[in-house]
Amino acid sequence: MDKPITIGLPRAMLYYRYKTLWHSFFEELGFSVIESAPTSKLTLEEGAALAIDEACLSLKIFLGHVKALIGKCDYILIPRISNFGINHEMCCRFEALYDLTRNVFRESGQKFLTYNADMIQKKSEWAAFMGLGQFFGFTVKAANKAYRTAKKAEQRQQKAEQKKQELLYRSEKIKILIAAHSYVICDAYIGKPVIEFLKGSDVVPIRADVIDPEDGAKAGKELSPTCKWQINREILGSIVQNRDKTDGIILLSAFPCGPDSMVNEIIARRVKDLPILNLVMDGQNGTAGVETRLESFIDIIRFKEGKL
Amino acid sequence: MDLHRKISFPRIARYNCAIKYIIEMGTGASYIMQPEMTKRTMEIGTKYSPDYVCTPFKSSLGSMIEALEAGADTILMTNGLCRLGYYGELQEQILRDLGYRFDFINLSEYVTGKLKDYLKAVKRIDPKVKLPRFLLALKDGLKMGEYVDNITEEYYKNCGFEVTKGEYKKAFRQFLSKMETARSRGEMDAGYQAALQTMGQIPVDKPEKPLQVGILGEFFTVMDAFSNLDLEQHLADMGVEVHRWMNVKNRMLHYSGEKNLNIKIRDLCSYEMGPTSTANIWCAREYAEQGFDGLIHVKSAGCTPEIDVMPVLQNISADYKIPVLYLTYDSQTSDVGLMTRLEAFYDMIRMRKRVL
Repeated sequence: MDKPITIGLPRAMLYYRYKTLWHSFFEELGFSVIESAPTSKLTLEEGAALAIDEACLSLKIFLGHVKALIGKCDYILIPRISNFGINHEMCCRFEALYDLTRNVFRESGQKFLTYNADMIQKKSEWAAFMGLGQFFGFTVKAANKAYRTAKKAEQRQQKAEQKKQELLYRSEKIKILIAAHSYVICDAYIGKPVIEFLKGSDVVPIRADVIDPEDGAKAGKELSPTCKWQINREILGSIVQNRDKTDGIILLSAFPCGPDSMVNEIIARRVKDLPILNLVMDGQNGTAGVETRLESFIDIIRFKEGKL
Repeated sequence: MDLHRKISFPRIARYNCAIKYIIEMGTGASYIMQPEMTKRTMEIGTKYSPDYVCTPFKSSLGSMIEALEAGADTILMTNGLCRLGYYGELQEQILRDLGYRFDFINLSEYVTGKLKDYLKAVKRIDPKVKLPRFLLALKDGLKMGEYVDNITEEYYKNCGFEVTKGEYKKAFRQFLSKMETARSRGEMDAGYQAALQTMGQIPVDKPEKPLQVGILGEFFTVMDAFSNLDLEQHLADMGVEVHRWMNVKNRMLHYSGEKNLNIKIRDLCSYEMGPTSTANIWCAREYAEQGFDGLIHVKSAGCTPEIDVMPVLQNISADYKIPVLYLTYDSQTSDVGLMTRLEAFYDMIRMRKRVL
């Protein structure tokens, strides 16, 4: 048997949203799937050197991950995900990501794999995955079967995560809702230290982005009717549904995130009954500054609740 | 209750005359023209805006405040394909928190995928609006936008070479004031024809192969002379033929679409990378192939789609050996800094032209 084709997944951006779907689909079809290692200082430094200075921290991290995969796999997967319908859009950056990366690494000889999800242009995720299957010579039947299996796995994983999350709300400890994109909160270099610090301070951090996408987007309208970014709508929805069950909110974003620069301002102006900490990560060395701010935020919550 | 609205829209390039025309000729409302943007507009806008939002948010917020100060009771705000689509909701919230009292018509609230639904917004401007009258005014107003674009193109291509200083500017100003006061298609057409004629007769001393620079970039900053610190005028004054494809006429009224523009740039990008990305990449290659001496890419600080286009422009620059100057504008950008960079860029392309 031939050596299986290897697909590389950069561990950044939408990886955290789609990792189960991608893994399962490609493995079902007999590919081998590899991932870049969790973000380190080096990932960020290498990515920053490749990126336009003004690009967001998340893009710099992403390019660092792509670099780590160059030459280590047959294809690197970078989809173009534009929207899931009107007012269910993604930040423009996800429309550009594939072409942008391809241009940055033009001289590398690396092959990239892409698919296009753009419901406004009637390009569904299903059709995109059938296209991927066909590209590698699979029948629609085989690709469809792999897609269905992958979709089921994705749903199982989402349900399990949401269930686990529900349990967190029952904790007696101080609970803080973290409003952040999954690629910020789950990132080993920028999000994880925040989570770990909170856990170490006897606080339960709860991710706002873990929510049923449809329910979340619907509930989010209550807080911001014209917000059109799907991920931000989910986060807004989570705030609407859970604000009574939490003691504070941390708005965690990566400098200078376009959607967050505005949506977080709306949250700060409209959610008046909870303490809110606006934490913008810029990838600078050292965690002391962040820790000081987290510490004083926790103190404020404890003080407010008479526990200090 | 007085239902007669006094409507205003933030300042955008030279198009407010067309918006005024559509509102006043198409509905029963009147239009309040706030002053042109100044340093103060930017200062108050910046003061009340979130830190790292893109610059047009700040200037348009400032311009809204100046409209309310000028007596507007209703602010109209547009939808958009990038962050612009969310400007309205946040700007309204900020203005309300500041205590201003006004009505806010945000086109983003009417986005359903059907153009028809925008008519609901028109009904809010004037519940008694007559549709045929409104549509006619809209058509004529858009025509005015096209005239503005045609004359603007003509102006920046030639004003750097006029024999008697100031003649082009005078004709341009006359044209703009005629557009601002036009009350019919006839007056509009007459003003346009007169401007074409006057400009056609101004003596120019243009070399056979003048320095040609193509300007491209983010939709608002590239068109708005206040926001780009009069970039095009400065270049023209140095004796450059300035070209800019990006305007309302080309991007909105006669856009040939992503599908058709993409054909020429497929090797560089497979998809629409953002609202104006296809157009800008196409335009950059077009200018490069026509043998332009340089390109200037203009954007406001933090503009996501334009940052994403830059790696592609860098490749075009390498492939065609065409210099590209990248300019980012924020609320702090000064003319002195801009002039230094422009002069250096100008010297460089001039020397290259002599050598090549």
